[in-house]
Amino acid sequence: MNSVLTLNKITKFYGKIQALKDVSFNVPEGSVFGILGPNGSGKTTLLSIILDVLKANNGKFLWFGHPGSPDQRKKIGSLLETPNFYHYLSGINNLRITQSISGRGTAADIDEVLKKVRLYERRKSRFSTFSLGMKQRLAIAAALLGDPKVLVLDEPTNGLDPVGIAEIRQLIIELRNSGHTIIMASHLLDEVEKVCTHAAILRTGTLLTTGEVEEILVDDDVVELSAADLNALANLLQQLSKNVVIDNKLNTVHVIFPKGQARLDEINSFCFKNGIVLNHLTLKKKRLEARFFELTNN
Amino acid sequence: MTQIIKTEWLKIKNYPAFWWVFGITALTYPGVNYLFLYVYYDITKQHSTAGQVLKVLMGNPFALPEGWRTMAFFSSFFIYIPSIVVIMLITNEYTYKTNRQNIIDGWSRKNFMTAKLIDVLLLAAIVTVLYAVVAFTIGLTNSEGATGGKWTLSYYIGLFFLQTFSQLSIAFTVGMLVRKAFIALAVFTFYSIIVEPIAVNVLKYRYKSEAGRFFPMEISDRLLTKPVFLGKIDETAYQHSIEAVKYHVAYSICLVLLTWAFCFWLNNKRDL
Repeated sequence: MNSVLTLNKITKFYGKIQALKDVSFNVPEGSVFGILGPNGSGKTTLLSIILDVLKANNGKFLWFGHPGSPDQRKKIGSLLETPNFYHYLSGINNLRITQSISGRGTAADIDEVLKKVRLYERRKSRFSTFSLGMKQRLAIAAALLGDPKVLVLDEPTNGLDPVGIAEIRQLIIELRNSGHTIIMASHLLDEVEKVCTHAAILRTGTLLTTGEVEEILVDDDVVELSAADLNALANLLQQLSKNVVIDNKLNTVHVIFPKGQARLDEINSFCFKNGIVLNHLTLKKKRLEARFFELTNN
Repeated sequence: MTQIIKTEWLKIKNYPAFWWVFGITALTYPGVNYLFLYVYYDITKQHSTAGQVLKVLMGNPFALPEGWRTMAFFSSFFIYIPSIVVIMLITNEYTYKTNRQNIIDGWSRKNFMTAKLIDVLLLAAIVTVLYAVVAFTIGLTNSEGATGGKWTLSYYIGLFFLQTFSQLSIAFTVGMLVRKAFIALAVFTFYSIIVEPIAVNVLKYRYKSEAGRFFPMEISDRLLTKPVFLGKIDETAYQHSIEAVKYHVAYSICLVLLTWAFCFWLNNKRDL
């Protein structure tokens, strides 16, 4: 799979504070690539560097195999940090400026993206009169203008109501299905889990891991079991795994196995042969949240 | 280039504050020159001896060709009004963070600065046209009995443009450095009206030094000499100031080039 974006040892300092430390990864074409990390982890700094708003102190990045340039940025729809528009201009006039600079889209396309983000009725209102959610939707409209094949979205659902969040997530999934590449920064785990195919996790400027979401965020099998005597069950299961926990509230025992190694039929048979009859047996994936906290040490 | 101008026009054409200040600028230049004209007529129409002596001493500073010089001098006092426009145009970009959005959307940093350079050039040109029209209109209607070619001193149009562009470029630099509109305006006005004139005069009168003429505003201030009637107070010094104009043309051009080279360099170097 071709790389849309390649980062090679990107380093950034703000004075003495190192915001990014030798960050390297590839964004495959057609992926929804989540850059995940807690606040202050360097997500926006990283996106600012690839959009030439900030200068890296060291390292390189390549868009489509070439160093970043204005012509390449024109082909990328971007929303960085906060919606940046002229407050005294209307929504439609702000998009005309986006269109004039980027060359993306036509007058008809401007109307189309405004309809897509449900701002068409308010297109002639000044940006300063917009609510936070409307400002965010206008920024998404600007990014979508001209249907760019690559989108860079920094916290795209910021400030949106639950319906707006669901709409934008659905839109991202539709864009992914139609072959777009989306690079998305987020601190919302379920957002990344729901829409991203790939992710990179940052903590205080350091890349912890990168790869397909399924591989990096869901890695352990958790088997939940129950029987009449929980203590006897737990003792028996310790022969299979060292990670055995009794949950007294739910009256269950949790056993953690490495990813893909839990065999429910074998466990059931093992317990029965050792005189314990199970009344509950199910396989669960380790929660994304738990995995994220584990990775970021939060 | 056309795309840059079109984009800047899209930013300006629906900006009410810009058109308000622009309107005030357009009214100021004819207004102030007509004001001085009426003061002149008010003084010289008096039949008293003092009035008649003043009339002989002053001649008619508003008649062409002398009117070009007189009205360039008076008009140059009001550089602060177009400088508000310039400071607004650059600080708005920082306030709304649209300077970074323009780059994200596909301009290079050089494109952004070129757009601003064009804004300042156009504004200086518009102000110069205003001055030229006002000077020509007032001059033409007050040249009865005047001698000499009407266009003899029309090169003051070029000098006025150079001074305006130079001083608006300094206002732009202040806006770019300070980033906040009101603080930038305060810094520019305070420096131009208070700091630099005091520094120039302290150097001149206390230390008998002419180094003050190389201060940023003073370099181009000396392009537009006083009207002849004011020069009669010290004719030697006045003649000296007229002879120095050609050097200050060169200094002003150098200053303008340096100013914009600095602005381009700064915009290219710093994070947005």
